[in-house]
Formats: sequence, structure tokens, C-alpha cells
Amino acid sequence: MISAVLHRLVLSVPVLFGVLLFGFLLVQIVPGDPAMVVAGPTATADVVAAIREEMGLDQPVLVQFWSYLQRMAVGDLGRSMISNKSVTSELGAALWPTLELMIGSMVWSVPVGVAMGTLAAVVRGSLIDRAIMALSVAGVSLPIFFISLMAIQFLGVKWQIFPFIGRPGPWYTAEGFMALFLPALSLGSILIGPVARMTRSSVLEVLKLDHVRTARAKGLSETRVILAHGLRNALIPVVTLIGLQVGYLLGGAVVTETIFSWPGLGRLAVGAIMSSDFTVAQGTIMIFALGFITVNLIVDILYSLLDPRVRK
Amino acid sequence: MSVTSTNVPPAPQISGSIEGDVSQEFTAPARAHWLRRLLRDRAAFLALLTLALVILGAIFAPVLATHDPASNSRSVMTPPAWMARGNAEHWLGTDGQGRDIFSRLLYGARLTLLIGFAAVGLGGFFGSLLGLLSAFNAKIDPWIMRTMDVLLSFPAILLALALVAVMGQGIVPIVIALGISSIPDCARVARGIAIGVMKQEFIEAGRAVGLSNLQLFNRYLVRNAISSIMIFISLRFGQTILIGATLSFLGLGARPPASELGMMASQGRDFLLFAPHIAVIPSVVIFIIVLSANVAGDALRDVLDPRLQA
Repeated sequence: MISAVLHRLVLSVPVLFGVLLFGFLLVQIVPGDPAMVVAGPTATADVVAAIREEMGLDQPVLVQFWSYLQRMAVGDLGRSMISNKSVTSELGAALWPTLELMIGSMVWSVPVGVAMGTLAAVVRGSLIDRAIMALSVAGVSLPIFFISLMAIQFLGVKWQIFPFIGRPGPWYTAEGFMALFLPALSLGSILIGPVARMTRSSVLEVLKLDHVRTARAKGLSETRVILAHGLRNALIPVVTLIGLQVGYLLGGAVVTETIFSWPGLGRLAVGAIMSSDFTVAQGTIMIFALGFITVNLIVDILYSLLDPRVRK
Repeated sequence: MSVTSTNVPPAPQISGSIEGDVSQEFTAPARAHWLRRLLRDRAAFLALLTLALVILGAIFAPVLATHDPASNSRSVMTPPAWMARGNAEHWLGTDGQGRDIFSRLLYGARLTLLIGFAAVGLGGFFGSLLGLLSAFNAKIDPWIMRTMDVLLSFPAILLALALVAVMGQGIVPIVIALGISSIPDCARVARGIAIGVMKQEFIEAGRAVGLSNLQLFNRYLVRNAISSIMIFISLRFGQTILIGATLSFLGLGARPPASELGMMASQGRDFLLFAPHIAVIPSVVIFIIVLSANVAGDALRDVLDPRLQA
């Protein structure tokens, strides 16, 4: 068990290195001179040279990479080329809103997806099953910006139930909670389809197994058979799927945050790219990748905890 | 007759079943059979028909368009013809700049589809090449698959953000990003299929008659694996289109004056209150294209690989 976790941890080292290398190359291959961007259009050649030296851009690439790794190790991501604030503090400020949005969207969509998938599996082949499956395919095909726009149009503007611009406070305040509603609704809706599909096929798979037949033979009620013996085992692949979907959700968060002016990492990333703020862009992209790796690591470990067959 | 090194025996065709693979379906009569089964599925038939119509519309956009997609007119924000205040001149109405929405849709679908095809083609080519090489050579296999893991930790939209940061906004970075992000998936599928082929006896036989690695790879492995790989790659089309349109919606992809469906929806955002059709119509068209691609893809997968049927 512990060795499996260690093995998994060791495996993520090259991936981590790859991500770091990618982040480094990202700023290296940017067209133009980063020192010129920082110095601004009116700077003299002396100033640009001084900045270049300060940023270490006059050093050989390998030396630059080494000092980059050293800075990464202590969490120093440099300063924003536009606002001159430390990138780490900008990321820190944007991290929580994004987490809040992602958790807020999963809190309702995962249970709904699991319930829909289980129901579809239990009444397999019926009209309800087909309707649920059709809905989930439609859900996967719907552009998230369209869902967001429709949510704004109806729930925000027409019926004026929820606010739809910005984040006035954290989720535990009344205003913050209301403001979280529409972005979380939009983002969560893209998760329902994949979760429902996965749950359905997983439950179908499990219901065929011997222990389920035994449970039925024991005379347990059908509800108990499905919930205690079927669903519980079927959820293992669903957990893995949710881990994989975090990347998908992050992508959706970029769109949702932009549309709802949500002050999270996605909006920060898009804003930084639009204004050629390479250090902030690099920082947001790296933190996205690191988050994704971490989640998948946790999911893999969770998987081995949930499934005794993986524990070797 | 002696077998010389230049006299390569003809590449064998797979007739039996391959573990975890769909190749057995690919002899000519079987192929007709799965196509018939696919078309008998009503939903799949409808989806394929819709896709065909959209593709035809996109190809013949210059012929079908009733107006120049980029020219403004004085009638701004005209609703579609069937609504109040609509008129037959612009039967899907006009946008905020008075451009004809129907004509822009045709050209927009053109660009959206092109981005999708180019990206799937790019990712499919490099992905299957890497997957095939991985299956063929056990030494490079772990290296390739580890690299794929790194790529996989960059969700498509993030990769696109990174590339756009470097290359600037435009269609090319979007296509490259979508292509790259479909590489790991394609590589995994290709590797799985190719490993099945590599287990076949004719590979052993090819080695025994002294074929070079290149001949073995090219004539034996690639030819036997490629059709299955291509089918699986085509399943990615819907999602690729969707992400491409989303990126253009964010302003990272196609740029004005070009028309692209995601960008059209984004331009309609400002008029959501007075003229919702400007954002709704292109969004619905994206939805229809992606839905059709997904439904057709699912049906194709079901027909080709019954084990995947839930």
C-alpha cells in the first residue's frame, strides 16, 4: 500500500520537471525582449541593459534555467511586467475564488450526475434511461459560454434572482453566496454529462457481478442491493473520472470566470495574455498544471484506498 | 524462386480478432456491414445527415450566402424573418453591425470546421506516429508515454492560452494547441491498437524473414493498425470543435473581420438584452454540430466495438 503510493509519487517527478521546463521555455521563446517589455517603450538602452542584467537575461540559458529552478523552489515567480506586483501574491489572491468556483460547481453537479447515472442503469433500456443518456450527450455538446449567457439572460437579467457580475465576498457571506450561484451553476452543468455516463456504465458493470446476485439471493431489498452493493463499488471509476475532469473543469473555469468577471486564476490568465504580461501568464499556467497534477495524484492514491484489488 | 532482401513478402491482412481492438471488422464485406448497421441507427443517421449538410453548407458558402458576410448594412439588429419586425431580406436577421447572420453563419461554420479538421488531423498524425513507435520499440516506449503524461497535465484550453501567450492571438496557435492536446489521447489509443497488432504471428514471421525495422513498421504495423486508429481519432472531432469555438469566444482565436461561430456568439454578448438572436443562433449551430459529431461518434464506437456498449 505505502509502496504503491511512493511509486506513484516517484512517477510524478518527471511530470513535474516537464511542467517546470515548459514554464521556463514559455518565457524563453516569447518573441521580443522581456526586458524591453518591462522597461516600457520610452526607456533608454542603458535602462534596458540594466533590467536585462537584473532579470539575469544576459546569462547563458542553462544558468538561467538553474536560477529559475531555484526561484521556483522557494515559490518566487517574479513580478508582474505590468503592475510590478509579485506574481505569487497575485496568484494567491486569485486561487481561492477559483477553488470556490470549482468546489461550488462540483458540490451540486457530481451528486446530480451520479443520481442520474444510477437511475439510468437501474431502469436500463427504458424511456427514462434513454432520456437521461440523450440529456448527457446534449450536455457534453453544449458550449459553456452559451450556458453562462443563458443563465445571465434569464436568472440574472429577466427574473433578477441572482447577481451575475463579480464576487463581492467569500461564499459564507450572503452576497458572496448569491454571486457564486450562477457561475457555479454554469460550470457544474458541463460536468453532469460525463459523470452520469460514467456512473451508468460503471453501475451496469457492477450489477452483473456475483456479490450483487448473492445480495439479491439473500433477500435484500432492491434499493439496498443497488445502493450498498452496486453504487458503492461503482463509484471507484467515477472518482477517477472526476480527477480527470478537473482539467476540463479548469478550462471551463477560464470561460466562466471571464463571462462572470469572477476574480480567479482563469480571468487572471486571459487578462495577462491579452496584455502580454508574460510572468503572470507563466505563473497562472504553471499553477493550473500543478493543481491538475496534484489532483490526479490524490485521485490515484484515493483509488488505491477505495479498491483493495489495487493495493498490492 | 529465392527470397532476397528486396523481395518483401506482401503485408498480411488481419483476419482474426485482436485483443482490445476493432480490426477484425475491417475486411471489405464486414466494412459494408458496419456502415449499414450505423445507418440503421436512427439517431446516428440523423446526426450524419446533419453533419453532411453543415459541411456542404460550409463548402458552398460563397454560393449559398445571400450577402457579403463582412459588409455592414443600415438595418442593425434585425430579428429573424419569422419574428415581429423581421424581414425576408435577412432571414436569420442581422447582427450589431448590420451584417447578415445567415451568410456569416455559413462562413463561420467554414472556419470552425476547418479549425477542427486541421487540429484533429495534426494531433491524430503525430499522436498515432508516437503511439505506433511506442508499441514498436520497447526502449522508447516509457519515454514517449511519460512525455504524453506531461502533455496530458496541460488541459487543452491551458495549452492554448500558453501558445497564444507566445504566438499572439490567431487561428494558427489555436490549431496547434488543439492538435497538441489531442496528441496524448491519440497516442494512447494508437499504442493500444498497435500492441495488439505486434502480438500477431506475422510480425514474428516478418522478423524471421529478415525484414528491416522500417519495413516491418511501415508495411506490417502501420498498414494493419491505421484504419482502427483513424476511426478512434475521428471520435475527437466534436470536442475539438467545441474547444476551438470556446477559444474564439474568449477572443484568443479567430479575429475580426473573419467570421467564426464562437466569435459571432461573443460579439452577440453585448446585445443579449435587445437582440438575443445574435448570440443564440451561432451558439445553437455550434451545439448542433458538436452534438451531431458526438452522437455519430458514439454510434460508430458502439457498432465497431460491441464490448464498449454499456
